[in-house]
Amino acid sequence: MKHVLMTAAAAATIATGAFAQEVTLGRFFGACEDAGTDTKSSVGEACIIQSIINAASAEIDGVTVNTLPTDWGNFYDQIKASYAGGTPPDIHVMHRHRIPEFAGLGAIADLSGDLAAAGIDTSDWAPAALDAVSYNGGIYGVPLDFHANLWHVNMDLMEQAGLVENGAPVLPSSPEELLAHAQKVKDATGQDYLAADFAQFPIGVRLVLALMWQQNANIFTDDGTATINNDAAANAVTAMTQLFDAGLANPQLNYADSQQAFLNGESAILVNGTWVVDFYTAEAAKPEVGLNNYYVADFPTLFETGATWADTHMWAIPSTLDGEKKTAALKVLAFINDHNVDWARTGHMAVRNSVLESDEYANLPHRSEYAGTASIARDTPPSERYGAIQDVLNRELQAIWLTGKAVDVALADAEAEVQDLLDR
Amino acid sequence: MATRDKSSRRFLSEAQSAWLLLTPFLAVYALFLVYPFFRGFWISLHDWNLLAVAFNPDAKEYVGLRNYERVMWGRNIEWGALASPALQIIGVLGVVIAVFFRRMRRMSRTTAIALGVASAMLFLLPGFHPGEGGRWFDRRFWPTVGNTLVFVGLTVPGVTVSALVLAAALNRETRAMAILRTVFFLSQVLSVTVVTLIWQIMFSPRQGLIANITEVFGGSPIVWLTNEQFAMAAIVITTVWWSLGIAMILFLAGLQDISRDLYEAAALDNATGLKAFWYITLPNLQRTITLVIVLQIILHFQVFGQSHLMTNGGPNDTTQVLVRYIYQTAFRDSELGRASAMAVFLFLIMGGFSIIQFLIGREEDR
Repeated sequence: MKHVLMTAAAAATIATGAFAQEVTLGRFFGACEDAGTDTKSSVGEACIIQSIINAASAEIDGVTVNTLPTDWGNFYDQIKASYAGGTPPDIHVMHRHRIPEFAGLGAIADLSGDLAAAGIDTSDWAPAALDAVSYNGGIYGVPLDFHANLWHVNMDLMEQAGLVENGAPVLPSSPEELLAHAQKVKDATGQDYLAADFAQFPIGVRLVLALMWQQNANIFTDDGTATINNDAAANAVTAMTQLFDAGLANPQLNYADSQQAFLNGESAILVNGTWVVDFYTAEAAKPEVGLNNYYVADFPTLFETGATWADTHMWAIPSTLDGEKKTAALKVLAFINDHNVDWARTGHMAVRNSVLESDEYANLPHRSEYAGTASIARDTPPSERYGAIQDVLNRELQAIWLTGKAVDVALADAEAEVQDLLDR
Repeated sequence: MATRDKSSRRFLSEAQSAWLLLTPFLAVYALFLVYPFFRGFWISLHDWNLLAVAFNPDAKEYVGLRNYERVMWGRNIEWGALASPALQIIGVLGVVIAVFFRRMRRMSRTTAIALGVASAMLFLLPGFHPGEGGRWFDRRFWPTVGNTLVFVGLTVPGVTVSALVLAAALNRETRAMAILRTVFFLSQVLSVTVVTLIWQIMFSPRQGLIANITEVFGGSPIVWLTNEQFAMAAIVITTVWWSLGIAMILFLAGLQDISRDLYEAAALDNATGLKAFWYITLPNLQRTITLVIVLQIILHFQVFGQSHLMTNGGPNDTTQVLVRYIYQTAFRDSELGRASAMAVFLFLIMGGFSIIQFLIGREEDR
């Protein structure tokens, strides 16, 4: 009897995890070497997310988190290869736009039955957040944020050009006004009006998409017909090319160069996402940085309807994960969900009502300046080919502004190729 | 008795021991090269979604050669003798030259056949084009093949000529030359990520060395990596810098095989410096040059990292290369069957060059 008891006790210790469960985690956002476990003082996406992960690893009993090295540009290729090889990470980040692809094939788990037991209250999620992670009646992840394109503003340059009123920048309400404002900035300061990454990542694509949505158009319909070769797209593109042609913006800057141009005070506006607000705030506070007076604005409406590109980061668990490992992974997701306000310090918008209504959230730097973004957030219809479609648009738009390809030819080519992708 | 002793000690025949020694290599070769190749070919005959098949092995569908058709062919494809005149005229000239020099016996048979076949392809392949209302099923495949050819066509002569010049200059037994040889070889040791990082900084219009130099001379800096005219040049320069080392070492080895007597004899006939290089060094290095060229061709057809990391294939697809397209098709689009079809195509090109090398090597052995 003594023997039986001892064996049972030993088995119980092993089963309840006297050994810590190691949870592997795959993410983008970049690397941060010494993030520490203080989730309140880290700066920038990479260090903030890593400090939350480190804190989860340190604070959750019996769970350690191992962050896998992944590269941003190849993240999805790497994740897919790991799924195909049967060794996906136990938790990984992804965009909501990838759900049709991953959930459609049964790669990621429907968590709707597990969240409550793990201490994740879905009723606290903003309706749009719940909607973002829902697919065919299931919940395929834990939302982390809403992120969107913003206009980052150098108020000193705008002031010199007479484009500041009541402490807020005066932003254009039509393509014509955009050109006029840009000319004013050039005349008054000699600097460019607008910078963005038009040469590398699809930031320029998101900009053009927003301008198409503002005309109540889209690049393809829900039933899979590409609609790119039309007036709305041409209007959206020429709103940008008029700036390039007049020498008021430079299309040849990539992500790092366009950011540097803005921080050096060489551009009044930078079109970039919510993910850099805290970083630019920190940079603007440094005396050696050209940007001193930093402001964040909602993407202005140049046509009829307000719209800006937006997406959601979320955490998913492979459908193959079960038992202790899955319990441990869910604990980590619950921990990250509890630290939603810390992630919002990056500049991203929170997904939990309790955070959105909190003073801590409202008092984050510049938060009130882009409060309108949540209501104009848009994205393309869902598609399993989202990544490839973005690449086609990025290529054809770059052909327009970098190589002088005729707008109508590029739009026709883009439409044909997107149609091919939708038909495959 | 003595003979019996001997034979009992040798319990394996020569052939048997040869097979025994070869077995480890053959096993690894079969497992990691031959089997994957045939599996790749088998995959190319299927509609095969990377993720779907991983979760459900029955999700693939046999489609025969349709992947090849979807990648390489189109609707209403016609052939015209002057569809792309420049390339096709060069092709015709190549055939004429091959026939002419072979008749004059100024060219070896294999060289003539190689040049003839390559030129005939140049005449034949660019002649295909979509007719009225037609289109290529995959609009990007052939332009991508073209970009890869341009890359190989610029990189291989670049590497060969600069490695040859460097080797000739560094082929002296002084300590300074030994150090320089090591320095020039060092770039070869770096990984593609490091190399592309170095050169991205070099080419950067804001902080790059090249931009700073142009500005000193009053020019406005070139935005290398996003300019249609310079993007390919930029990755070619990077590649030449990166892959000089091996070619240089091969040339140095070849140079050291050339007898000193030849140079002394030439010097007596007043042939030194450039003349000696032209009349002694080059002819004696012919085999090494051929080897270097063919190795480089096979190597550079597989270019991936430079294009993927420096330009993302842009701008406007001008630096999109075949392996990157295969990678994107397989991993971004999950279309493994289609990607495998392209990989088989790439294999055929490289296999062709390997055969040429084999033929040339055999001819010179005779």
